[in-house]
Amino acid sequence: MRARRAAAFLAGLALGLAAAAAAPAQELSVSLAGGVFSPSSSAYRGIYGSGAVLAGDVWLKLHGPVGLAVGFSRLSDKGFAVAGDGGQETYPLEFRRTSVPVVAFYQIKVGPAALRLGAGVGLHSYRETWTTADLEYKGHKAAPRLMLAAAVKVAGRLSIFGQACCESIRTGRGTSLDVNVNVGGVQVLGGLSFRIF
Amino acid sequence: MKRTKVCLALILASIVLLSARPGPARPDRPAGRGGALALVRIPKTATLPLGTLVRLGIDVRQDLATCLLALADRDDMTMLRRSGIRFSVLDRNAPRPEYLLVETGLPGALDSLRAAGRAVAVEAGTAVFWTERGSAAAEVPAGLPSKVLPARSVLPYLRSRPAAAAAAPVAAVQDPLVESIVSLVSSSSLAADVQTLQDLQTRYASTTNCESAGDSLYASFSALGLDDVHFESFTFSSGYTSRNVVAEKTGESFPGDFYIICAHYDSTSPSATRQTLAPGADDNASGAAAVLGAARALAGYPLDYSVRFVAFSAEEWGLWGSRAYADAARARGERILGVINLDMIAYANAVPEDLQIIVNDSSAWLADLFAIAGAQYGVVTTARMIDPSIIYSDHSPFWDNGYPALLAIEDYPLNNPYYHQTTDTLDRLNLDFFTAAARGATGLLAGLAQPIRDGYPAAPARLTAAWETYRSLFNTLAAVNLEWDAQADAAGYNVYRTTTSHLGYVKVNDEPIVGTSFSDTGAVSGGEYYYVLTAVGPTGLESNRSRENAWRSAAAVPAAAASSGRTIRPAGPRGIR
Repeated sequence: MRARRAAAFLAGLALGLAAAAAAPAQELSVSLAGGVFSPSSSAYRGIYGSGAVLAGDVWLKLHGPVGLAVGFSRLSDKGFAVAGDGGQETYPLEFRRTSVPVVAFYQIKVGPAALRLGAGVGLHSYRETWTTADLEYKGHKAAPRLMLAAAVKVAGRLSIFGQACCESIRTGRGTSLDVNVNVGGVQVLGGLSFRIF
Repeated sequence: MKRTKVCLALILASIVLLSARPGPARPDRPAGRGGALALVRIPKTATLPLGTLVRLGIDVRQDLATCLLALADRDDMTMLRRSGIRFSVLDRNAPRPEYLLVETGLPGALDSLRAAGRAVAVEAGTAVFWTERGSAAAEVPAGLPSKVLPARSVLPYLRSRPAAAAAAPVAAVQDPLVESIVSLVSSSSLAADVQTLQDLQTRYASTTNCESAGDSLYASFSALGLDDVHFESFTFSSGYTSRNVVAEKTGESFPGDFYIICAHYDSTSPSATRQTLAPGADDNASGAAAVLGAARALAGYPLDYSVRFVAFSAEEWGLWGSRAYADAARARGERILGVINLDMIAYANAVPEDLQIIVNDSSAWLADLFAIAGAQYGVVTTARMIDPSIIYSDHSPFWDNGYPALLAIEDYPLNNPYYHQTTDTLDRLNLDFFTAAARGATGLLAGLAQPIRDGYPAAPARLTAAWETYRSLFNTLAAVNLEWDAQADAAGYNVYRTTTSHLGYVKVNDEPIVGTSFSDTGAVSGGEYYYVLTAVGPTGLESNRSRENAWRSAAAVPAAAASSGRTIRPAGPRGIR
């Protein structure tokens, strides 16, 4: 599983580098951010609430205002199984989602800030685990991704960075809580961006 | 003038009283439905909707292997037709004073029956018989077993369920206590009891000798120091009366739950002789003696469950005694957990002889337990037959009232040439086979009633089960949550589960459970499970089982939960697995 994630990440990175090699890159930057995830599924919200996300992206401006971003994000969440039929036990759950987004973006300069509007695809790998029971579910899905990011230069090559992403990741699986669980939603991140060139 | 007013008042009162009288007995039917009644036959098909029959309020009186017999009026028949349920009319002038179901498997039986009255075959080997007037039971030709049609609807006890699983050998450990109880059943006392009944010359119900047989059994039961011995009188076949003899040993843990061992004590022979000579050694002094033997064996042992030893009368007239008893038990709401009916258990046409155990689907577990007890304590081989059409003995009224019951009989079809003859005497019996059968029955009864052992914890008194589900985004965990009362003499508890009532219990906890609840996640939704609980004392001695708690899930959960071999450990403070 870990090897597959690494392979997906490397594939995305290779795609970005290939694009950079194919066209004369104007700017290359990396960002690291953390934030919150707000799920769109009420079933997800009921079990896990909001989750914590860590993300890293490579931003490559290729031609004029157009660029490509490749990243890696990790969502981690904890919750409890929903008891039915009078159940009074407590079964803790963990949900992990690893994503490799590839997004084409359009950059607009507004003073010291750079606004980036993007759309692309996210490759998602997710796993739900019952901590005290031998139950687990794993899945993979590719899903469209919309992105809005902003970077404001603070010193030299360093910028304050913010990002909001929206994804709909319908898994095609579920229980009576939600027969087709959507593990996507909106994530809002903040962090730093460093311009390499 | 005053006299006229008084007369008018009397007339009005009479009208009111007459109009308030209940109409013809049509129990279990909504009021206000009319039309002439007919006896109808409804073929059983794989798609026969029992639920529709319930919804329509059809007055089903007999469940047979291939059909149901019902009383239906014009409205019923119209609704049956509209519901697409096929039926045929057997008698348009129902209800008669007596409808009898008569076994007509023997060659010429149906013809001899038709010579005696009206007879209509309803399936292979079974006919409905009635007469235009008088007692139909008295007109049944000698040698043909019969059963009077139940007085109430049996529909509440019919269940759409798959046939019982094939009988499988179940390994069980011989219980030394039960073995010592069973050893008290001796061939000499069995033979002596048969001789006593045979010496009455006839026990044909309606004769004073039959009443003397009842007195003799009453005296024998009374001598054992049981908790209660009494007669239960009933009327049968248009005005005769007779008595069942009922003896009870009250259980100490579950006094309201009963196991019954029974046999009929009346007898018959050809019509020319039955009033004066019907020795009925095999049919059924043998069964009555075995019931007496079981009572002697168990009398001195405290039991968890109550046991009743019942000797029925008027079986040969169409099961009237057992019908009166079973109907009254159902009306009283008695919890009868199982019935062992012994009828002709002493004649061996071949050696070694095996014992036929006849049950319906709901009672198959009793036959399987008899097989185990027979092998362990009686050294008698049994053969299970599941056939709801074998209704010509005292187990049948218990089936009609929804109670599990078995018939133990030496052969079915019968192979005893002395059956219903004046030559059915003790010297024709095989005492070894008789003793083995009686011991097997006693072993079964003792195992069910659970003798209480000194120094062991008491059987847990209360066990409840409830279905619980837990859902995540992608998985459902199904569990049966069991709860019980703490008891002072227990250091822990064991939970046992099975999918077949009373058979094949498997312990589901690894170590004795400390606490009073347990969450069993090994059960799968959509299944049927039975649980019992035992208490484990400080020295490791394990109690008898609690009452069995049946649990049936309403619906299946998604397949994600149906994996097996899971290790489940709730995070909360309750049950641990």
